[in-house]
Amino acid sequence: MVTPDLSVAIGAVRLRNPVLTASGTFGYGLEFLPFLRLAQLGGIVTKGLSPRPRKGNPPDRIVETPAGMLNAIGLQNIGIDAFLEEKLPALREHDTAIVANVFGETEAEYVEVCEKLDAATGVAAIELNVSCPNTEAGGMLFGNDAASLARITRACRLRTQLPLWVKLSPNVTDIRELAKAAEAEGADAVSLVNTFVGMAIDVEKRRPVLANLSGGLSGPAIRPLAVWMTWQVSRAVSIPVVGMGGIMTARDALEFILAGATAVQVGTANFVNPRAAVDVAEGLARWLSERGVLSVRELVGALPPAPAAPGCP
Amino acid sequence: MASPMVQDFTAPVLRNVDLGRGNWLLEFEARDVAVAMRPAQFFMIGAPGSDVLLRRPFSVCGLPGTFADGKEGAVQVLYRVLGRGTKLLASLSPGAPLHVLGPLGQGFEAPGGSGAKIVLIAGGIGCAPFPAFLAALERQGRRATMIYGARSADELPLLDWFRERCDAVVVTTDDGSLGARGLVTGPLKAMLGASARERLHLYACGPSPMLKAVAGMALASGVVCDLALEAPMACGFGVCLGCVVPTHAVPGGPVAYERVCVEGPVMRAERVAW
Repeated sequence: MVTPDLSVAIGAVRLRNPVLTASGTFGYGLEFLPFLRLAQLGGIVTKGLSPRPRKGNPPDRIVETPAGMLNAIGLQNIGIDAFLEEKLPALREHDTAIVANVFGETEAEYVEVCEKLDAATGVAAIELNVSCPNTEAGGMLFGNDAASLARITRACRLRTQLPLWVKLSPNVTDIRELAKAAEAEGADAVSLVNTFVGMAIDVEKRRPVLANLSGGLSGPAIRPLAVWMTWQVSRAVSIPVVGMGGIMTARDALEFILAGATAVQVGTANFVNPRAAVDVAEGLARWLSERGVLSVRELVGALPPAPAAPGCP
Repeated sequence: MASPMVQDFTAPVLRNVDLGRGNWLLEFEARDVAVAMRPAQFFMIGAPGSDVLLRRPFSVCGLPGTFADGKEGAVQVLYRVLGRGTKLLASLSPGAPLHVLGPLGQGFEAPGGSGAKIVLIAGGIGCAPFPAFLAALERQGRRATMIYGARSADELPLLDWFRERCDAVVVTTDDGSLGARGLVTGPLKAMLGASARERLHLYACGPSPMLKAVAGMALASGVVCDLALEAPMACGFGVCLGCVVPTHAVPGGPVAYERVCVEGPVMRAERVAW
């Protein structure tokens, strides 16, 4: 049986296989070394990095919901300087693409982090987090509006040579407009989706479960929504799309790839099974091999022609 | 970071014993990890193929040798059926596979030296880490006194077991259905008052309001107190950042959020910024 070719390229970034880990679900990567080799993955995306350490939101921060979970962590992270000094040197010893997720409260903060990453060795790409639903300033505020997203993308594009991915929020009326804005300002790829804003209420205590009131919904519950958005966006832009949302298995990843994603990110599944992303990559290899598909690239967007405009559901 | 000996493994249920009144004792084989595991460390446990997404954290209750009838190489966890995760666990029969991650977190350390009198304070199902701890103490030739409280007599699992193993077990219930009516803080206050010249080391596990009250009394009396904390958590090995508690290096100092799963679940009382 022929070993299938799993390699893909997101612009200039070459990946061994199309499976990365999603920001906020994989720490700084090193936490997973007891469970897997990072070289088994196409790449990892770090926890969102801000110019200075962030304390995050008060607890309770998470709750399980049907087929998913809500989180309101508030981007607790060690800050870009500590990442560059304490994590990156160990991380870049591993043969995998390191994508640094960047978060700021202002345009200047995004630029500051991008510049520091640009000067560092071992970072394959930057993913701009313009879509975090759990912080007061920054994040989703920029990602909810095409003009703001364009401004942030442009500012970062001017200050870094690194490939720039823009991670999109699904909490918008038409995600294609945001994707087009990112593309027009020089983004090398878009990744989608971040979490959907949701809320859970403890009826006995008559109060919201999360201290932050609302949180971001992830997990299998959002997968059909995310697949649909991946399909829409991949037909609206010509830059590569990185798809994510509730991927637990290789079959789930294939849905995103067939919808038009060149690569995928595994998120919540990492909490349930620390080897989940490796299992997805190995499952993809098996699936392709069993069906005689020579390269995963043959499957990207490989659906029959769609009706001109899908009707109302 | 997860400790280097942490393992993610599948183990069949050996026994799942209904202790009555919603309390259960689950036994499974954990030969490799049981040796290295310490009392108050925990497992993340899930059942494959269920529609419960996340594993749930459970303190190790019994390590090899803790319970006389425990199977060789097996460990036990004590749980109370409260939500979807524990309901699922209670439905499992012997032979059903469990997805287990562990050992996780920081466990109890016995007091250094031999002078301190050891007092265990448990609130209901918060008694879970104490059987393994008592067994470990026993191996060092030490015993403990226990204050064991709950809302009612129904919520005091393993009470007889504790009575055999402790110098004394003082029981309190909110409704007065067993022991003294009231909270564990009642007997604790008396003990702190009477033991003015005796060095105490408190170990507490139970609901947050209880831990907060116990911690406050311990700090006011200058008594060493270790808390075994509980929090909702998604991963158990330090990456989701869902299970944090506010902490400070010194009371009144700057507050940070630390993970119950990695920096805890056992923390010194003065470290938690309630």
